[in-house]
Amino acid sequence: MYNRFISHLRRALPLNKYLSTSTSETTVAESNKNATIEPKKFKFPSYQKPCQVWVENLDTIDENKLGIIELHPEIFSANPRIDLIQQNVRWQQLYRFVSYAHTKSRFEVRGGGRKPWPQKGLGKARHGSIRSPLFRGGGVIHGPKSPTPHFYMLPYYKRVNGLTSALSIKLAQDDLHIVDDIEIPTDDPKYIEELIKSRNWGPSVLIIDEVDIMPRNITLAVDQIRHINLMPAYGLNVYSMLKHDTLVLSKAAVNLIEDKLLTALHKNNTSFVTKPFKINQV
Amino acid sequence: MHAGKLKGEATMGSNTADKALRLLRYLPRVCLANIRDNPGAVKKNRRGRAQHGGDNHGDGNKGSGQRQNYMRLGHHLRRQYPPLSLNDLQLLIETNRINANQPIDLVSILNSGLYRLSPDKHEFGIHLTDEGADLFKAKVNIEVQWASELVIAAIEKAGGTITTSYYDQHSLQAMLNTKKFFERGVPIPRRMIPPADAIEYYTDPTKRGYLSDPEKISEERFVLSQKYGYTLPNIEEDKDYEMLTERKDPRQIFFGLNPGWVVNLKDKVILKPQNEDLKDFYST
Repeated sequence: MYNRFISHLRRALPLNKYLSTSTSETTVAESNKNATIEPKKFKFPSYQKPCQVWVENLDTIDENKLGIIELHPEIFSANPRIDLIQQNVRWQQLYRFVSYAHTKSRFEVRGGGRKPWPQKGLGKARHGSIRSPLFRGGGVIHGPKSPTPHFYMLPYYKRVNGLTSALSIKLAQDDLHIVDDIEIPTDDPKYIEELIKSRNWGPSVLIIDEVDIMPRNITLAVDQIRHINLMPAYGLNVYSMLKHDTLVLSKAAVNLIEDKLLTALHKNNTSFVTKPFKINQV
Repeated sequence: MHAGKLKGEATMGSNTADKALRLLRYLPRVCLANIRDNPGAVKKNRRGRAQHGGDNHGDGNKGSGQRQNYMRLGHHLRRQYPPLSLNDLQLLIETNRINANQPIDLVSILNSGLYRLSPDKHEFGIHLTDEGADLFKAKVNIEVQWASELVIAAIEKAGGTITTSYYDQHSLQAMLNTKKFFERGVPIPRRMIPPADAIEYYTDPTKRGYLSDPEKISEERFVLSQKYGYTLPNIEEDKDYEMLTERKDPRQIFFGLNPGWVVNLKDKVILKPQNEDLKDFYST
């Protein structure tokens, strides 16, 4: 029964942090003789166990497990705060949004300086201007004014914990894949599409590498495919992670992201980063 | 099969995060369409409507006029001293956030990042409070801006020394973020003498004021030890005597740096005034 369950998992879940280390080792040994667990010494030790995740390859269409990488539990199995994710998404949509909706007040609408009819004697309601908000074609009270920026800054730790939540959710839902590097043998878009289809990724995939100068083949291959995107690690953000179904990280990107986020989480002097944000601050 | 999987997973971690992540494995993919904030998390700012909701915070609503020719500016203008307890100080020392082998002043406490000061809100420095006085055992040379008798006794009982000293707004601004201040490339200002209503406090040897007579302070140290019933540690024979008796000049802001000096962090040099007038201006 247990063996059946393990073999089912092996087929269904390429990565499984809920399996014990010993089980993973046997699985690795069966699937690939060269695959190994790379024990990792973390800069910030945690009381939790590290997550173990398969490292895959991109140089063949068929999935080839190259080994197991250990990930820091504070980054990749953090508390999945859906509320922080929502706040991050809202912030990312709003901080660059400028509303250009514009209305004119009664004093900005042309005309209306003259009293339309005498105060008394006509049996009509008294009015002082034909551009009063009561009139058709009159001004608008408290209407939108252009431009209205909606910029604000989300608190630092909401941004950091938003990223760890999103990464943890992606890993828990089997939507996070780690590859050794993002080199592919051809620049043919069909290759990467076929690869993604055969591995049940996507359809939309976000591929993240360490630096912003990507290998030539993958850049050309995904150039015309709008649902497969490349991003450097410094561009990692909650919105893009949620926008794409699958997140593919290169090993170098994982190390960089882990390092940056752990440094952010373990800062011992937070007074500068948690200060209220000023627009003109350096 | 399915039950086996659940059973297998249930043996692993039991904290909230693990539970939530395990639950997420059986839920639809989290995406832009199915996220939301916690219910009730966003609170609208409403105008106060209770007894004092809409009024003027005790400042009244009259300005200068025929009856009185001055603005009534409210009564939040007194000097404030945000508290730091002896407990906090002990913790800062034990967790290596402050080096107790060197004199401790406002700069070293601010540099720990765990004490905040807003001089623009009339905050003038540290009020060292007596919470944890019984447990305090660090031997320190500390300079604070306000301290009670019990706090002074606790520090001196542990073999340390304490001074209370006054810093004006400009000095405090320089001390808040030292790096930022040095990067501005302006000379270190002179520390101003305390205002009239604070002179009494800072010249009082029982308060360990920085303007009081050192002879009288050592007398008062003994008097206090008699009052609280402890034997006063003899700091003259202490191996850290030099450190424990190091004091700033009344015009000095930073240990080791004199007013008028410019610190160039980029070239790692200190520029000192050469002009006689400047020397005269910055001397005490």
